[in-house]
Amino acid sequence: MLEISGVVKNFGEIEALKGVDLKIEKGEFFGLLGPNGAGKTTLLNIIIGYLIPDEGTVTINDEALVYENLEIKKLFGYVPQEIALYQDLTAVKNLEIFGALYGLQGKSLKGKIEEVLQLVQLDHRKNEKIKNFSGGMKRRLNIAASILHDPEFLLCDEPTIGVDPQSRNAIFDLLQSLNKKGKTILYTTHYMEEAERLCSKLAIIDNGKIIALGALNELLDKIDKKTTLLIDKNDLTLQKRESLKSLGEVKENDFYFEIIPSEKFSKNSLLFSELEKLQIPDKFVELKKASLEDVFFKLTGRKLRD
Amino acid sequence: MRNVLILLKKEYLRFVVDKPAVILTFLLPAVLIFIFGLIFGGNGGVQSKIPIVFVRNSDEPIAKFLESKLDSSDAIRLVKSYKKEGEKNERKIDEATAQKLVKTGKYSTALVVPADFITDTSSSIHLKMYYDPANEVEFSLIQGVIQKTIFTQLPQLFPLLFQKQIIKPLQGLKRKKFNSDIADVVSKYFGVPKEKILESMDFSKWDSKELLKGGNNTGDNFISKIIRFESKQLVGENIANPGVTRSVGGWAMMFLLFSITGAASSFFEEKQEGSLKRLLCMPVRRSQLIWAKYIFTITLGIVQLLVMFVFAWLVFGVDIFSNFGNLFIVIVASAVAAVSFGMLITSVTKSYQQANGIAMVFILVMSAVGGSWFPTFLLPGWMQTISRLTINYWSVEAFLQVLWRNAPFARIALPVLILFSTGFIVNFYALVRFRKGNIF
Repeated sequence: MLEISGVVKNFGEIEALKGVDLKIEKGEFFGLLGPNGAGKTTLLNIIIGYLIPDEGTVTINDEALVYENLEIKKLFGYVPQEIALYQDLTAVKNLEIFGALYGLQGKSLKGKIEEVLQLVQLDHRKNEKIKNFSGGMKRRLNIAASILHDPEFLLCDEPTIGVDPQSRNAIFDLLQSLNKKGKTILYTTHYMEEAERLCSKLAIIDNGKIIALGALNELLDKIDKKTTLLIDKNDLTLQKRESLKSLGEVKENDFYFEIIPSEKFSKNSLLFSELEKLQIPDKFVELKKASLEDVFFKLTGRKLRD
Repeated sequence: MRNVLILLKKEYLRFVVDKPAVILTFLLPAVLIFIFGLIFGGNGGVQSKIPIVFVRNSDEPIAKFLESKLDSSDAIRLVKSYKKEGEKNERKIDEATAQKLVKTGKYSTALVVPADFITDTSSSIHLKMYYDPANEVEFSLIQGVIQKTIFTQLPQLFPLLFQKQIIKPLQGLKRKKFNSDIADVVSKYFGVPKEKILESMDFSKWDSKELLKGGNNTGDNFISKIIRFESKQLVGENIANPGVTRSVGGWAMMFLLFSITGAASSFFEEKQEGSLKRLLCMPVRRSQLIWAKYIFTITLGIVQLLVMFVFAWLVFGVDIFSNFGNLFIVIVASAVAAVSFGMLITSVTKSYQQANGIAMVFILVMSAVGGSWFPTFLLPGWMQTISRLTINYWSVEAFLQVLWRNAPFARIALPVLILFSTGFIVNFYALVRFRKGNIF
């Protein structure tokens, strides 16, 4: 279990973390969601021992994290935001260096390298220099270098930045399979879609503070509406536009009417029956489920990517 | 045109915010111009006098006269006594000691006025010069100053010399009486006033230029007949390529500083690409990272210097093997000192660009002041003191001792000790700075 209590970190006059408390249970896929500059990376840097907090403690399996405790560091695998690999070396040479620093050697090291290269599907490119790899391949190898020593905790700092959708899915699959194998994963991101897809538990961080914590459903419960109806404006007659008010609260933008259905349409079937009565074709209608973006907006008044 | 102006503005903006580029563009040239100006422009205060060992074994008035004139020279300083280690008082330098002082590199030149400086049978003066042309420019300058001093004193020297040679055969006759008798005889038979004759017999008013008239060779021959220089090179007479042997150490040290600083500041690259952070979250101590970088850069420095010296041996025939043990010690000491400089720069700067910009300024200034480019004696006195604070100075000195003088370890012990201590002290400070600095 990873427990963070009252962690404060300042950089000069900037308060990066203002007393963060978190508890990550063994086997959890924990998401730390927040906009850029919210304090995600700072918190991760403190957990991995790269930064020392001004106040507060971090404990791993009830043992306090102290400066340069090498044994505790072995429990972590860290996937940095950057491609933290030696670009002029081959994949194997990179993994040999990092594996050796984790104490692996000889056959054990070779075996582990083969294993992780297969896992990230790069075994066929293992003797090529990394600088020749695609962005997605580098990202996968970045993860491989972090799991060589079979860590208990995997800390991923926005590991999909700049990755194409195909490679992103491959990374998601990889992380989910690692989580299924028992790894506890802390995943920071500012993409709510990633958090929603991957994480069993989430914390939303903003301006150095945790503003929401819980499972996805628990967070979504924080907002009143679960569903929003979007209706294309273009092909609606004035009469039909007026009739939309019967569905609930109506907001209007350049392209859509955004409707928050009233209580009597809490079930989607009732809502669509009413739309049929109003003779609004399905093709103009989009049902939008409530998301973490809405939660964040409700809590901060801002969008995640502002 | 508008686009050109916008792009031009962009270029200026980017340049102004790039501090290392600004430093390299304006500050560095200004500093180097200042140093060269001090050397060749003479505006940096009093140029310090070049010390030469002086031994006078003759009590002849002419020898004393020559000594007094050399003493008052603006360019050289006569060193006549020295303090031996463990002794309280200074002792007068004799000819053997003078040779030893030149051989060991303490002084580049010794001028000896021998006992037979002037003999009764000779009409010339005899001088001995012992020298070490380790520094060709310095040696040429000293030689020129001595000759100039003697030649400008010829109007005074020559009559003294001439009178001595005349008076001797006249035995017992006083010079005044001799002159007076001659004047009487001439006045009597030619009707010229005696005072005028006596005035014309005052040799001290003779013009040496007149004496030297009569063609180039005649003048030279005349001088060489008056002054007999006996020069002896005490060091480096068998060196195959003196020029390269003298300068290779200075250049090697400068390039070593460049490469080592680049290697040490690669910490910044690793930080930027994230690999440093990855290493720091592994079971690795910060000190281990620093030591690994330190040892790597030292070995790189040693190999680089070895390669440079082997190249000098292969291409220019510089003898690196007859004193290889000591050469290797100086190489290691220089590498240790250079690496500490690189680590220090890395520990006090905030980025790779800043580290390289500042390092460039310091390396070029240290090379100029420390003797990598030209001999330090050319610098004003206060700057010569500063030059001793540079690692280039001690490294160049040690390389010169080893390659030029084939010196034993005792003679390189001081520069080697200074290089090692500088290396360890500065590196210790850098280690402390690393903890507070921007890299970790």
